[in-house]
Amino acid sequence: MWKYLFRRFLSMLFTVWVISMLSFALIQLPPGDYVTTLVNQLVATSAGSSTISSEYIEQLREMYGFNQPMYVQYFKWIGKILTRGEFGYSFVYKRDAAVMITERLPMSFALSFASMILVWAVALPIGIYSAVRQYSLGDYIFSFMGFIGLAVPNFLLALILLFITYKYFDKAMIGLFSQEFASAPWSMAKFVDMLKHLWIPATIIGLGGTAGLIRTMRANLLDELNKPYVETARAKGLSERRLLWKYPVRHAMNPFISTIGWALPGFVAGDVIVSIVLNLPTSGPVLFNALKAQDMYVAAGFILMLSILTVIGTFISDILLAMLDPRIRLQ
Amino acid sequence: MTINEIDLALADRASGGPSTESDVRIEVATQWQLMWWKFRRHKLAMFGGALVLFFYLLAAFAEFFAPVNFTTYNEQYVYAPPQMIHFFREGKLAPYVYGYKFERDPVSYKKTWAIDKSVIIPLRFFNHGDPYKFWGLFRGDLHLIGPVNASDPFYLLGADKSGRDVFSRIIYSARVSLTVGLVGVAISFTIGILVGGISGLVGGVVDNLIQRLIEILISIPTLPVWLALAAMVPLSWSALRVYFMITVILSLVGWMGLARVVRSKFLALREEDFIMAAQLDGVPRGRMITKHMIPSFLSHIIASITLSIPGMILGETALSFLGLGLRPPVVSWGVMLQDTQKVAVIAIYPWLLFPAVAVIIVVLALNFLGDGLRDAADPYQ
Amino acid sequence: MADNNNLLVQVEDLKIHFFTNEGIVRAVDGVTFDIHSGETLCMVGESGCGKSVTARALLQIVHRPGKIVDGSIVLYRQKSHDQIEKVRISDLEPKGREIRSIRGKDISMIFQEPMTSLSPMYTVGNQIMETIMLHTKADKNQARARTLELLEFVGIPRPNRIIDEYPFRLSGGMRQRAMIAMALSCNPRLLIADEPTTALDVTTQAQIIDLIQGLQKDYDMGVLFITHDLGVVAEIADRVAVMYLGNVVEYSDVYTIFNDPQHPYTQSLLRSIPKVTATREKLEVIRGMVPSPFRRPSGCPFHPRCPKAMPVCSEIEPKTISLTENHQVHCLLFDEDAKKPVREMAS
Repeated sequence: MWKYLFRRFLSMLFTVWVISMLSFALIQLPPGDYVTTLVNQLVATSAGSSTISSEYIEQLREMYGFNQPMYVQYFKWIGKILTRGEFGYSFVYKRDAAVMITERLPMSFALSFASMILVWAVALPIGIYSAVRQYSLGDYIFSFMGFIGLAVPNFLLALILLFITYKYFDKAMIGLFSQEFASAPWSMAKFVDMLKHLWIPATIIGLGGTAGLIRTMRANLLDELNKPYVETARAKGLSERRLLWKYPVRHAMNPFISTIGWALPGFVAGDVIVSIVLNLPTSGPVLFNALKAQDMYVAAGFILMLSILTVIGTFISDILLAMLDPRIRLQ
Repeated sequence: MTINEIDLALADRASGGPSTESDVRIEVATQWQLMWWKFRRHKLAMFGGALVLFFYLLAAFAEFFAPVNFTTYNEQYVYAPPQMIHFFREGKLAPYVYGYKFERDPVSYKKTWAIDKSVIIPLRFFNHGDPYKFWGLFRGDLHLIGPVNASDPFYLLGADKSGRDVFSRIIYSARVSLTVGLVGVAISFTIGILVGGISGLVGGVVDNLIQRLIEILISIPTLPVWLALAAMVPLSWSALRVYFMITVILSLVGWMGLARVVRSKFLALREEDFIMAAQLDGVPRGRMITKHMIPSFLSHIIASITLSIPGMILGETALSFLGLGLRPPVVSWGVMLQDTQKVAVIAIYPWLLFPAVAVIIVVLALNFLGDGLRDAADPYQ
Repeated sequence: MADNNNLLVQVEDLKIHFFTNEGIVRAVDGVTFDIHSGETLCMVGESGCGKSVTARALLQIVHRPGKIVDGSIVLYRQKSHDQIEKVRISDLEPKGREIRSIRGKDISMIFQEPMTSLSPMYTVGNQIMETIMLHTKADKNQARARTLELLEFVGIPRPNRIIDEYPFRLSGGMRQRAMIAMALSCNPRLLIADEPTTALDVTTQAQIIDLIQGLQKDYDMGVLFITHDLGVVAEIADRVAVMYLGNVVEYSDVYTIFNDPQHPYTQSLLRSIPKVTATREKLEVIRGMVPSPFRRPSGCPFHPRCPKAMPVCSEIEPKTISLTENHQVHCLLFDEDAKKPVREMAS
């Protein structure tokens, strides 16, 4: 087991390294850089009357280090992150990128985590029910709701929710905090307040994933229910409930758990777009603006950290799998 | 036993007796026939398939089905609400809608639209209306339905902020939104089958490397990547270039899943007896892949393709909604939904959300269809 | 022949139908047999003839959409030393408490696929102890001790180690031994073995068969052994029920079946076994193939393949005819009543 986990851990580190390069390269892809955006802005604001000298532009590039080759920029960037935890500087907000990340990322994490818990809590029992009572009325209803959940884009759900609260409720429901806590320092009360607000966006983000996971669980369990070991257990005289939980459900959990790995990127993506629509203080809106303004250090930092979050999720699912399945543990 | 004897024995067995022939007829159905039989039983999938077909027809003949062109506007009818269509008047088939009038809210003095039942706007099937160039090739002006008098307002699903017909725009949007899915899937399918095929067929180190790479790519959250890539599309690009760029971006993120499916199929097939038999018969490798391996899992591929189109459509919608995807004057459902970013707008003009209804219906239909195809893909189960 | 005091299970006119979308499949269509303790009944037939379904019916574990629609299965259960209780298994609720107390205790079953019949998620010991703790009042330590005893008994080397091993780390033969240990754990009166050796190699097959035979003697169990291998039948059977498309077509003791078979199907079946003595003689096959369950032939279902088919065979469903007390045949050749009217019509 330790060998297996060690191997997974190494591969995780490797993945993170590749992701760091990819996310840096991704930000470098757009033609031009922040200076271009800045110059455009300057030209636009001064109504094109004054032209900015090319020496000044070069000076700016020099200052930001944009005229160095890309790999040099990358190693400088990653080096600072690793040694000093510095993510660079936000050109747009004129702030330290690391501070912005530490401000926003925990919120994204909390939201993604809450969505996942919610998805699990809903998808597992419903998936089991749908498989055991295949083709029952309940199965059809859940399947239908699942399809709807898959088909409705989550930003639309957010919009509808926004619309409903706008029309019928007080607006404070949207957002992660009540007004009095929004800018207050962290405290137990603020945390509790956040939990109270979290479930709405978590539901919106989780809905699509729930639908997918219900179908995964149902299909897995249906496969397992016909396996010979189930018949063996039944022939022993075990009650249906006991044998269901001990054998097929336990087997069907395997693919279910490995979905944590690939479901997480979905939750993070959902978090980004839903937060943009609902204007939640998570990574989403900041990342979105950073990408639009080519605020590269902020964007790269966020993409890197969000990706690492999902890689860690995959690693956790690997650990869980090893604990659950002796075939993986003993290989 | 010599070979001849075996042949004889086999012939003996095959011919059977004269009396058995009628009763013990061996039924031979092709794999596709079996799949079709199984698919046909899946009512929801049949329904989904019909819906998908309907929407693609709508998209193909948008010029004919849309009452007006998607650029046609009338500033007189900005944000006009939807009209109910009535088909019969005085017992005869004579479709019509009621006209609009303004009302001033007595409290807020805001101008609001109201239906004016005293004004009847007659409609006509196969109406000669806005002229268009069908597929950019043929001139025409025939529309399925439209107002007899071209200047009359006809807004089945209401009008948008420039007084354009939401219904017509939804139909034209289908063209973009639905083809984004097809083109995107075609691209990711090509990449997926190539990479997955190499991985599964070559195996060894190459396979290992490709699998690690896919693992890494899958763990990157898609949306930020989409956003990052979409943000790099220059504003100066033409609509068509943007369209293809967005499609490519969407498919770049979607090919990994397909590659995995293809790889696992190739791996599984290598162990199958019939491949072994073909190998022993000396079938050349290229022929083996195209004649024996690909056909045997093509049905699975078709099913997974169908199931990945909805993701593409939703992706395009999300990107365009955020303003990073397609841009006006191109219309897609996502572009239309840009207007709904502000809650205040939805609250007053909820019909602007109709494009979302189209998205949901198409994605649902594709999911039903794909589900049925996936079940049918294994006709022997 | 065994006397009635030893009667263990009595199956009468059992009918199991599968209600599928394509139509009703009469998987088992009026099957009658009985099993006595200390004897082995072999059920033989090609795949799809209903032998496995019949066996599962004895435990009420027929898969959906199969259902027992008619007939009875009665278990004679030893309540105390001289008191025997009759339990109508066919009337019991498949998920109910009573049938569950019979499964694994009075009647236990081993299956064809030792590779997949044990769950890879739990140790061998865990899965055997589960049965013991379910049916007896044994605590964990007692159950473990009993499991060790059983593993040793079925010939597993180093049971102390194997008990904590996962099934996927054992060979097929070892797994089947573990399955047998599990089946024996509560001293069942009847052991049902559904092709227990099909998935094993020949040497292991012989060992497993020896093991089952030995255990039967030691425990004085009844054994219902399902197989399509006539060699195995000859080796272990006391009595044989030959099945074809849901019917027991011939039912007698093993000597009669092999030396004096009456039903054309049994005769063809026996002719299709290779014999060591007959060199270079062409092996006979039964012509045609087993028809699809959805297009069951009319009359006697075997008539399209039967070398002795008469015109009447496609019209009348045969009844079971007793040739002697111990020999029943399900064939119109022996039914004088059925043959008569047709002859008259023909003349």
